[in-house]
Amino acid sequence: MARLIVHQERIPDHQELINICPFGALEEQDGKVVVNAACKMCRLCIKKGPEGAMEYVEDVKKPEINKDEWKGVAVYADHVDGTIHPVTFELIGKAKEMAAVTGQEVYVLFMGNEIRDKSEEILHYGADKVFVYDKEELARFKIEPYTAVFEDFIKKVKPSSILVGATTVGRQLAPRVAARMKTGLTADCTILEMNENSDLSQIRPAFGGNIMAHIKTPNHRPQIATVRYKIMNAPARAESKSGVIVDCDMDQEMLSSHVDVIDILPKAKETFIENSDVLVVAGRGVKKEEDINMLRELADLLGGQVACTRPMAESGWMDAKYQIGLSGRTVRPKLIITCGVSGAIQFVAGMNHSDTIFAINNDPKAPIFKSAHYCLVGDFYDILPKLIAKIKEKEGV
Amino acid sequence: MEMLVCIKQVPDDSVEISLDLGTKEPALIGVTPVVNAFDTYALEMAARLKETFGGEITVVSVGNDEVKNSLKNCLAVGADHAYLVKHEKSESLDPCGIANILKKAVHDIEGELETKFDLILCGKESTDYASSQVGLLLASKLRLPVATNIIKVEPMDGIMRIKQETEEGYRSIEAKTPCVVTVQKPDYDPRYPTIKSKMAARKKEIKELSPSEEVSSMLEVIRVFEPAKRVAGIKLKADNEQEVVAQAMSVMTAAKVF
Repeated sequence: MARLIVHQERIPDHQELINICPFGALEEQDGKVVVNAACKMCRLCIKKGPEGAMEYVEDVKKPEINKDEWKGVAVYADHVDGTIHPVTFELIGKAKEMAAVTGQEVYVLFMGNEIRDKSEEILHYGADKVFVYDKEELARFKIEPYTAVFEDFIKKVKPSSILVGATTVGRQLAPRVAARMKTGLTADCTILEMNENSDLSQIRPAFGGNIMAHIKTPNHRPQIATVRYKIMNAPARAESKSGVIVDCDMDQEMLSSHVDVIDILPKAKETFIENSDVLVVAGRGVKKEEDINMLRELADLLGGQVACTRPMAESGWMDAKYQIGLSGRTVRPKLIITCGVSGAIQFVAGMNHSDTIFAINNDPKAPIFKSAHYCLVGDFYDILPKLIAKIKEKEGV
Repeated sequence: MEMLVCIKQVPDDSVEISLDLGTKEPALIGVTPVVNAFDTYALEMAARLKETFGGEITVVSVGNDEVKNSLKNCLAVGADHAYLVKHEKSESLDPCGIANILKKAVHDIEGELETKFDLILCGKESTDYASSQVGLLLASKLRLPVATNIIKVEPMDGIMRIKQETEEGYRSIEAKTPCVVTVQKPDYDPRYPTIKSKMAARKKEIKELSPSEEVSSMLEVIRVFEPAKRVAGIKLKADNEQEVVAQAMSVMTAAKVF
């Protein structure tokens, strides 16, 4: 199949171009020249029309992939220095569910340095095969060698679907792998459903979670999805091991890198708000900068941190890195206490997956109450001091 | 230092976007288009680098004529040149399609300006679809080194010294120049335009580029739908503060934070 493309910006006079066509296949619609069904592909308009206005394009027929060649669900084992990130086990659990639909196997890809012993642990979670690339060059995550190993694995094993944890590493690695394999990647999926024809239904939130999009990768394999930590449920660790470990090797030359990690600086006592179990959030209801100290006292008692909304960060009362929301950070603490936060979507999108949301606001109509598990209509200036006193009493401080 | 910042225009992220039940599409009519927040952080980072190390900043976006407004805003806060790759249906493209278009744009702009970019900056993700892939895919297509989630860049002799944020801490990275970075929210907020800078921006031209090759998407959005509504929360009243505090205490105990 071939077709004509009209470059509107290169047509000085619409009527002049339209008149060229002996079949009347060019017409004007909404101020644009379009090609209608009468076109015989004589290409007179290209020859006689203004230069570059009409372009002839031959459609390259997309090669249909043979989906039967691609089998199984693979999980990337995320780890730091061999300590496996728990999202890996959650994804193995999900992969088992998915693979059960098509009656296929679950694979785990584990790459690093001196990790052979640690790969045994994965066998407690029900993977069928664990492919281990144990190489000195893979000691620290570097995007190029890690992508090369991933590519090697995909070409050898040909998994139909691949799940990657949306960790810092996974978020870098998965797109690179997708680009290398010329396939699609759906980031941050919250629901994954396997169809019997091995097409993966990937469902993810958009616009801060108000809208869900259902996405497929119809003509490409493997289908790659990333999933955040704590979205899927981890399977219980079995006492006995099952499955086998497959030691893999590959061309050493593929493991070179153009990016060098000079140093890893462990956060000096600083914990990102993403890693806090408890957050106390300051909203616009906080009247003075000093009043944040009251929130900080509560956060300290609960072993947590103070975070804030965008207006608070913009006011300069708190550092931008403590800002929760669509344009800031996404958090999932065990408990989040919001104080004087109205609950704009911009904020809610960054915290609505928290385990327990406890909202204090004196406006009963505040949108935050639509997302909160516990809605306290009242003034936090009255409530927090009493709460702080009560906790101190309980803790015996 | 020559810098390119890739910009996406998105619906205002402070507005709650719902589903239009008629069209089954996100209801975006009447929502102000803005520059994606993380892209504004990238542009601010570039503007600060320009102040220290000199050079010029070019911004590029993909979309229809409406996007020119956003590009004008970028010209008012530090960008020297602005390019728009004209595409009427850019919202239907997947990240790979966008990266393909940007790859060509990089070459086109470098040709037009007779320069080579030392640093290409993107926001780490967009506030609408948040795929967080375009920067990485662009780097991959340009065969350039890439660092994601970065909060600081410093050019040194032929390399970029980069501070990257991870879940565990920071990584100090060196990448060969040129390279691509995707920007996390740093410790500062983007500057606001002044009346003077706005006036100057208005006079600047936004040049158009064509995407040329037909771009195809590998991902297909089957449908969009609304998530299940959340069950209403438990209401506590502040009339009796003693009781409220007692209830709050039991919530915290249940959340196992003690």
